Formats: sequence, structure tokens, C-alpha cells
Amino acid sequence: MEFHKILVPVAGVITNEEIIELADNLLAKKNKGEICAVYVISIERTLPVDAEIESEIGKAENILNNIERIAVEQGLKIDTDLLQAREAGPAIVDEAIEREADLILMGLTYKRRFGEFSLGDVVPYVLKNAPCRVILYHQVTLDEFAE
Amino acid sequence: MKIVIMGCGRVGAQLSALLDANGHNVTILDTDAYSFRRLPPSFNGKALIGNGINEDALKRAGISEADAFVALTQGDNRNVMAAQIAKHIFNVPKVVCRIYDPLRQELYTTLGLETFSPTAIFAQILKKDLES
Amino acid sequence: MYIIVVGAGRLGYYLIKALLDQGHEVLAIEKRANICDNITSEMGSCCIRGDGCETATLAEVGTNRADMLIAVTGDDEDNLVACQVAKHKFHVPRTIARIRNPRHEKLFKKLGVDVTVSTTNIILEHIEKELPTHLLTHLLNIEDKGLEIVEIKIPPNAITIGKAIKELSLPPESILSLIIRKAHKPIIPKASTIIRAEDQIVAVTTPDSEDALRTILRGR
Repeated sequence: MEFHKILVPVAGVITNEEIIELADNLLAKKNKGEICAVYVISIERTLPVDAEIESEIGKAENILNNIERIAVEQGLKIDTDLLQAREAGPAIVDEAIEREADLILMGLTYKRRFGEFSLGDVVPYVLKNAPCRVILYHQVTLDEFAE
Repeated sequence: MKIVIMGCGRVGAQLSALLDANGHNVTILDTDAYSFRRLPPSFNGKALIGNGINEDALKRAGISEADAFVALTQGDNRNVMAAQIAKHIFNVPKVVCRIYDPLRQELYTTLGLETFSPTAIFAQILKKDLES
Repeated sequence: MYIIVVGAGRLGYYLIKALLDQGHEVLAIEKRANICDNITSEMGSCCIRGDGCETATLAEVGTNRADMLIAVTGDDEDNLVACQVAKHKFHVPRTIARIRNPRHEKLFKKLGVDVTVSTTNIILEHIEKELPTHLLTHLLNIEDKGLEIVEIKIPPNAITIGKAIKELSLPPESILSLIIRKAHKPIIPKASTIIRAEDQIVAVTTPDSEDALRTILRGR
């Protein structure tokens, strides 16, 4: 199976390198197609949705810059975009619709909530509402075995 | 004293029985007749079916002549509304209201209601007991 | 405007939709998880699950920057408390409550709710307008001034017919402001204007003088 427009929501730095390589492998032809990495800043309701939170923007730009660096190293063409929204899930789904993506590729890290494994809110929302195929990529890290 | 109590739960029923035994004129309201089973057989007051946020039900319970009104249903909001009707519409001299949510209790205290939060009180008692 | 809607039942649902269409920032607070999910998947991030009467929930959603809070749950007591918390704790400039029991209107006003909407009263007003035999129709309430604008039809057998307005002893605070006659342009009544059968009179009055005004105009 091959894809032409892949949306890659990114949240941290851990799995980025692998996931971008994977996205490139899933494209129909190397560099014939689009990969777009998006970072969503969630704005809490106490602030207007267009509020500029310096610290969050700085963090997001770091992550996106890191992705651009990886892309250059691997000789890939990648678009990056920074979004602001109330919640990441609906923002990712909207972005996939707008860009007419045919795949959402999401990396996830192992999370615990109230002592139990949890997918969080974003992944289930995207799985339920995505307009296209979704692939989840779970990178096993040493930390998880330590738990 | 003539006292109207709204909500015949465990606390409402016990309070009614205590006040009645002390010779007060007690009327207790509840929306469910089954709740009145909690009243002791010796209870001499009046038990009426009715909703305390309904002015007619309050009038039937004699709110216009009441010296005190106590709101003790399970719903914080219902208690708050009934207490405010008693205080602001019927000008009952003493109005007491149970509010489980401590934050809401704080707000209504600043708005001039006499309120009790069993949640806050009980947590304090337990804390004291555990730390002693 | 940032508008918070407490309760996303049937009324809340259409309200949220309409307000979003008008371009407002809207947030609904709803207790039932399945309703929240439906609204979020249909309209985006504009609904959170929670109790709109709880101070903690209202703080989390930034109620202190809200321009308006509208409480439309099915229970009058919940709507009252949501509005009171919004008003007194978060200083929301406008609070609107839906009321089921029309008699709660006075209490809500007294307790600081800016606007109350009673579906019962709205339907009653429409019934008044639809019934041709009805004597007095409420057109508009000017609540903050304690006045109302009403319309009174003069029936063919009224004894005021043929009399000039100055001959009528109108109740205080009542002013006849317009007369609409069949096939004529609307008339601004003067002291000498003669009342005719089938006149539709638009008057400003107070709720207390309403009955007296109707009796005088109909001549009963």
C-alpha cells in the first residue's frame, strides 16, 4: 500500500527520526508526494485561542526545526506547520481534511494515566474521526521495560 | 418556633424528629412520600408532599408564618434556590441551607446565605482525628 | 464574543449551532458524556464534559473572560445557580437563564440573573396573537423600565367608539402611541382623535395598569 499525502502530527522529539523515515517509506515514490509534520499547541480556555504563548511557541519551533534538520540529513522534502487549537484531536482531523491527506501517521510514546496504560485523548479521537487511514507507530523505549 | 424543613432524608427526618420532640411546630416537605417512612411514629408535625422550589408548595407548608427554613435535599442547587426563595420572597427570619460542594458553599456564604457543607466539615473532623 | 452555554440538550444544541454560525466563540458545558462526544465530532472543540454550576469547571473554561453565560439545562435550580456563580464569582456581564416555571422570573431577576426566557410565556404570547378575539396582546416588555408595549383591539360594540381620546380617563403611565385603522395609514393619536370600531391601538403601559387600560378602552 502506498500513500501520496501523509500528515504526521508530532508532539515530542523521541520518535521523530524513525517516524519520518517510515513516512518516507510509505510514500508512493521517494519524494513524489507530500509529508507534512504538524505540531498542535493546545490553548486552555482561560485564554483566547489566538493567544501567543512564547514558551509553547518556542518549544514547538524547536521540535519542528529538529524535524526539518532530520529531513535535510535524510534528503527528504517535508512541510512543517504549527497549529493552535483548543484540543489536538479535532485540530489534527481538520488539518487532514483540509490538506486532503490520505494517511495520518502518528507516533506515540508509552503513557500511564492513573497507574494504567493509556492512549490519552488525542489518539482515540483521531482513530474515531479521521477522514483517511491512520497508522499508529509505537516505539518501544528502554524506559518502558524499566517500569 | 414554626420550622419548615425541605427534604426528608436521614438528616431531614432526624432533625424534624428532634425539633418536634422539643415542642417545635415542624412541617417537613419531600417530593417522594416514601421518604416519610424515616419519620418516627411519635412525630407530631406535618409531612407534606411537595417541591421546595415551588412557591405554592412552600405556602402550603406555611412558609409565610415560618420562623425558620432548612433546605436539606440531595441537590445543592435545589437547596440554594429554595433557601433564596424563603429568604428573599417570604422573608423567613432564619434560613439554613446544606451545600455539599465546598466551593459553592463559599460563594453563597458571601451572598448572605447561612450554609453548611457536610463535605468540608466531615473532612476537617477526620483530619483532626487522624492527626491527633 | 465569548459565550458559555450550560446544558447541551435539544435547546442547547441548536443554540450552540446558531451562535457558532454567527461567528462567536462558543463553549458548551454538558454533564452527559455521549452528548459531549456528539457535539465535538459535529461542531469541533466547543464542548467540555462537566458541571456548569461548579466553580472549578467554570474557572477552567475561563469564565472570567466570558461576555455572556446562557444556562439552558432542563432544571430551573441548575440554571439559577450557574448564572449566580457566573455573575458573582466570575463577574460575567450578561447572564441568561431558561426557566420552566414562569413564576420563577421575579426571583431570578431579584437574584441577579440579567435575562430570563420562559418557553411557557413565549408560547402564551403567540397564542394571544393568534386568537383574533383576544383583547390585549403583549408586543414587547421593556423590563428595565417596568413598562410594556401592548396592542388592544376595539371591538364593534365598545362604548368608547365615537369618543375622543381626551374624554377617556386613561390609567397613569399609560400612553396611546399609535392607532392602526383598516385601509388607512397608521395614525399618531392626538387628544382629539376619535376612537373607531376595529381600531388597533398600540399603547405603552405598566403591568399593573394593563387591566385598567383594557377596561377603559373596551368600555366594560
